[in-house]
Amino acid sequence: MLGNLAITIGFITGLFTIIMYYFTYKGYQNTLVKARIGYHVTALMAIIASILLFHAVLTHQYQYNYVFNYSGSGLSTGLLLSTFWGGQEGSFLLWVLFTAIVGIILLEYTSKRGDLEPRVMMIFTLSLTFLLFLVTPLLKSPFNYIWMDPSFIETKFLNSQYLSLPFMNNFFFEDAAAGKSFVKIDSQLNALLAANGISIKDFIIEGKGLNPLLQNFWMQIHPPFLFVGFSMAAVPFAFAIAALIKNDYRDWVKQAFPWMLSGTMVLGLAIMLGGYWAYGILGWGGYWGWDPVENSSLIPWLVGVASIHTLVIQKKTQSKGGPGRFVKTNLILAMLTYIFVLYSTFLTRSGILGEASVHSFAEPGRLVYLLLVLFIGSFILLGAVAFVSRWKYLNDDFDAEENILSRELALFTGAVAVLASAIIVLAGTSAPIFGQAVEIRFYDELNLPIAIIIGFLNGFSLLLKWKSNEKEYIWKKLVTPVSISLILTLVMVVWGSVYDIMLILLSFSAIFSIVVNFEIAYRIARKKASHLGAYVAHIGIALFLLGVVATGGFSAQDSIDLEKGKSVNIFGYDLTFLGYNPIENGQKYSFNVKVEKNGSSSTVSPVMYVSPINNSLMREPDIWNMFTRDFYVTPISYSDGNSQSNSHNHGQNVTLNKGESIDYKGNKITFDSFNFPPDAMSAMMGGQAFSIGANLTVDGYGKTYKIEPKMESDGEGRSFVSAQVTDIDLLVEMTNLDASGSINLILGSLSGDDEEIVQEPKEILSIEASIKPFINLVWSGVILMVIGFIISAVRRTKET
Amino acid sequence: MNNKYIFGGIIIVVFMAIMGYLFTETNISYEENFSEIKNSTKTMKATGSWVKEKNFLIDKQKKQFSFYMKDYLGNEMKVVYDGTIPNNFESATSVVVTGKYQNGTFHAKEILTKCPSKYEEQFDSASNS
Repeated sequence: MLGNLAITIGFITGLFTIIMYYFTYKGYQNTLVKARIGYHVTALMAIIASILLFHAVLTHQYQYNYVFNYSGSGLSTGLLLSTFWGGQEGSFLLWVLFTAIVGIILLEYTSKRGDLEPRVMMIFTLSLTFLLFLVTPLLKSPFNYIWMDPSFIETKFLNSQYLSLPFMNNFFFEDAAAGKSFVKIDSQLNALLAANGISIKDFIIEGKGLNPLLQNFWMQIHPPFLFVGFSMAAVPFAFAIAALIKNDYRDWVKQAFPWMLSGTMVLGLAIMLGGYWAYGILGWGGYWGWDPVENSSLIPWLVGVASIHTLVIQKKTQSKGGPGRFVKTNLILAMLTYIFVLYSTFLTRSGILGEASVHSFAEPGRLVYLLLVLFIGSFILLGAVAFVSRWKYLNDDFDAEENILSRELALFTGAVAVLASAIIVLAGTSAPIFGQAVEIRFYDELNLPIAIIIGFLNGFSLLLKWKSNEKEYIWKKLVTPVSISLILTLVMVVWGSVYDIMLILLSFSAIFSIVVNFEIAYRIARKKASHLGAYVAHIGIALFLLGVVATGGFSAQDSIDLEKGKSVNIFGYDLTFLGYNPIENGQKYSFNVKVEKNGSSSTVSPVMYVSPINNSLMREPDIWNMFTRDFYVTPISYSDGNSQSNSHNHGQNVTLNKGESIDYKGNKITFDSFNFPPDAMSAMMGGQAFSIGANLTVDGYGKTYKIEPKMESDGEGRSFVSAQVTDIDLLVEMTNLDASGSINLILGSLSGDDEEIVQEPKEILSIEASIKPFINLVWSGVILMVIGFIISAVRRTKET
Repeated sequence: MNNKYIFGGIIIVVFMAIMGYLFTETNISYEENFSEIKNSTKTMKATGSWVKEKNFLIDKQKKQFSFYMKDYLGNEMKVVYDGTIPNNFESATSVVVTGKYQNGTFHAKEILTKCPSKYEEQFDSASNS
């Protein structure tokens, strides 16, 4: 209740703030104070609403629809906090919260810089108010009560002592097939409960819990970073519009620059945290899959990076007075960065990517879809109207005649290359809107040449002086770094057997960029450490590209079965399955595999468990992280062998996969399929009796026989029923049945004259093992890039 | 000045042309009706659900994973994937496979499993009873 109140007040004061800032801009006195109070009240309401939601989550207030759906009592405090943004409503509120906080800092920043505040804050508050509107009680508020829309809740979530109350009878619903009963919770039931002195909070005592894929540390940090990045992207947008309003294009560049740098830094970090999450925990096997949801946040990042480079040019060319160069480009790019943030939200939240992405988001409903369209539409319109109305002035050419060999042009070319990459990603990611999709290689093949150009420009632009350069001067400067890079690339090609021409070119351009940047960084490290940012970031991106070459071109993977205690060699590593042990109070099992090579060894422990939330097998990989490579192990399945019969049997012991056949004494025995009665699954879940048969075809002596040995279960133990073909003296005993598609049979004769064999139970762990060479380059590249961004942001903040 | 725009224009046109070409070449359309897929030789994204009754099979020798899918009309087809079972396959409510239909089976290059974001049977099953 209070939460909805806070959001509603915040929305109204947000509107008030926009109007007051508008009046201030128009020259009214006294309105500035009101606007500032208005903004702070709005921000305070966003903070209060967030605290209330945290409180509701921590104290398990399942009367809130949102808390019931995404949280649960068994979660640790850290994970409970992350259920705040586990669903759509909460993640919108998180975005609201960060935008509000960024705005407080922005207000402080702009209030000290002349007449900037009313224009910038007016636009910024507009975007905050829009976001607040999305979480108002009428739309996507996380504070809406569960009974507001009738919902059917399973009885296991409810307090059993109230279920026997007489008036409850009208609200029970049984699902006989699933063996579950539900209670319909609506306003009527709520009123009845209240009339009997029962609070709904005591009635619903457990939540549905958090998606098991989200139950880890990365869920706690990836989304917050992403939303801080999203929130900060609104700042350059506000600055650009503010510049257009005033028709003054000089100062905003300097003022917006540190915001652009830090926002891009945070967004970049957030994207890669997501990449690490996918790689290390979710077991996607890689850090980047060109998944539309990943892509959608990459687009604004790329545009932000491009805009940083053109902003540098404008700043640099301002030294002789005037607004500098690329005025229009910078305005457009600053606005586009935020528009693509909104577009990303639209793609991921509208349900459009439903079929195209591994991420799954709940369908938001028609209303939110339209609102998101309205949100982007109005911000595009705002930017376009502001831009077009100043077109005449903007079109006065600020451009000076340029020299081909200038750092400006090299930087601009770099920005264009980054933008080209953004356009590629945009095209591929937007395809699902039209019911289309592109293969992964669309991104790979197009981005590869662009990455080569970027790597080269990364180094080349720094060899150029601003304004103009003599050709001879450039040649002289190029000789040393190019020769060093050529030698290093050659060493790499020979030593690493790199034979793909594109990968060789990419390696060369990345190495060239490292050599040049490192040389400059080394020279200026002592004198001007504050200027190191760009070079550190560029070394970072170059290392990242080398990492991409190595992991993209030279990863190897294979699946193998490990029998307990026996060592198996794969990719030159000896793997031994040591056994498993329960972890986290027996909720999960970790499977320990010893990995050895050349005397060094490590034990990796991938995890498998059946999640109680979705009743399915969850797998978590584990990694042996070495300096030059990762040994990556994903568990697939485990069979303990104990279900096999230990009794003495006669005959030949075989394992058949579905569709396979085996020759036995001139008879061909084929395992066709399981006979899996439709009701067996629910019976199995419900602990009732059921049986599963294996359809076998026996071709013998020109005749075909169909037989079906069975496994029967009385709900607890299980037994096997054998089958026979008397014509050909064949006895088929089934000893095990693996739901993944294989059966174990003992083939013998009815007369029983076969040799006696003893079966040993075998514990087998199936895994997928892969080698990821030099993946550390990817992570260290990203870390260096982030450090570089931070150094630059600090320096540029001091400059303003 | 003019040269600058001509040069830039050419680059943009070439870039767009290459991108457009690759886009159409790598373009895949979605198909929900399996009888359409069986009559086509193109690479497609088939959306449907896993036929749990027919189970799935991990063939360790061939390193293949196969299962049966059915579309909304109930048409079934066998899907073979070169690789292992995708993570969380068992909990998938719907499956999207990318590949081609050949000789009676759908050869998938990619499997995408959609897991329900709310892990609960939809309550219409309850409200119908």
